[in-house]
Amino acid sequence: MDLRTPDYFAFFGLPRRLTIDAAELERRYYDLSRRLHPDVHFRRGPREQQESLEAAAILNDAYRTLKDPATRAEYLLRSEGVEVAERVPQELIEEVYGYNLALEEADAEALAEARRKFAGMLEDTAAELEQAARRYDAEPGPEALARVGALVGRRRFLTRLLAAAESRA
Amino acid sequence: MSYSKTLLDHFNNPRNVGSLDRNDPAVGTGMVGAPACGDVMKLQVKVDPESGVIEEACFKTFGCSSAIASSSLATEWLKGRTVDEALQIRNTEIATELSLPPVKVHCSVLAEDAIRAAIADYKKKRARHEAE
Repeated sequence: MDLRTPDYFAFFGLPRRLTIDAAELERRYYDLSRRLHPDVHFRRGPREQQESLEAAAILNDAYRTLKDPATRAEYLLRSEGVEVAERVPQELIEEVYGYNLALEEADAEALAEARRKFAGMLEDTAAELEQAARRYDAEPGPEALARVGALVGRRRFLTRLLAAAESRA
Repeated sequence: MSYSKTLLDHFNNPRNVGSLDRNDPAVGTGMVGAPACGDVMKLQVKVDPESGVIEEACFKTFGCSSAIASSSLATEWLKGRTVDEALQIRNTEIATELSLPPVKVHCSVLAEDAIRAAIADYKKKRARHEAE
């Protein structure tokens, strides 16, 4: 395995998919943790020890990344060279403008309304993303992946927006 | 990062902040959003239907100092131009005038997008108006 650009999916012996069995991932994680643990290798040479240390570090990164569907999707997109759309989604611009106006005018009612709306949009986006992920797994292709990328960007934007809105609540 | 005098002037004393009646057929509204930072900009023009000259221009921007200064400058440049002349304003001219640092050039792109969106909205309304 090339330690510089490890493929997290290959590391766990899992297919490169957006939907993975969480229990299976966890099982493999514990299994690999035991095998890679530096203490197991302490009797071997310094090179082997160093290698096991590095592999253990990658294992933890890989597990953290693949465990969460959101970071898993971002990782897969990045490694496929797909850019996550970092834009204000066009259909959201008016909402964001209205939200900013309400902030400026300290209009509590409008702010609460905006928060509800953003929360609803985030839920919808999460559901759409789940669907897009399943579609990509069933039929991988650049188009299906681009759709995932757009939704990941949208979710990221909404999450930020909602966090900002809630911090002012 | 230090900002130019012109930029700070537009940021501290933004010109033409405000809003025009969106439903007025002589008014074009452009609403655009910025990448990553989530800035939003509304830019409006009021056009004399006879001459096609922009009589009024105003904006409201929620964003960083560069986005505010870019839209403020844009509204100043728009007044007195025809709608076709307005479309010739380039983000690079705005960036140069304000000496925007490279990481802030996207703010001038946003202002150019807002101009285009406002003019397009006006033209669309105008066409609809004439068809009636």
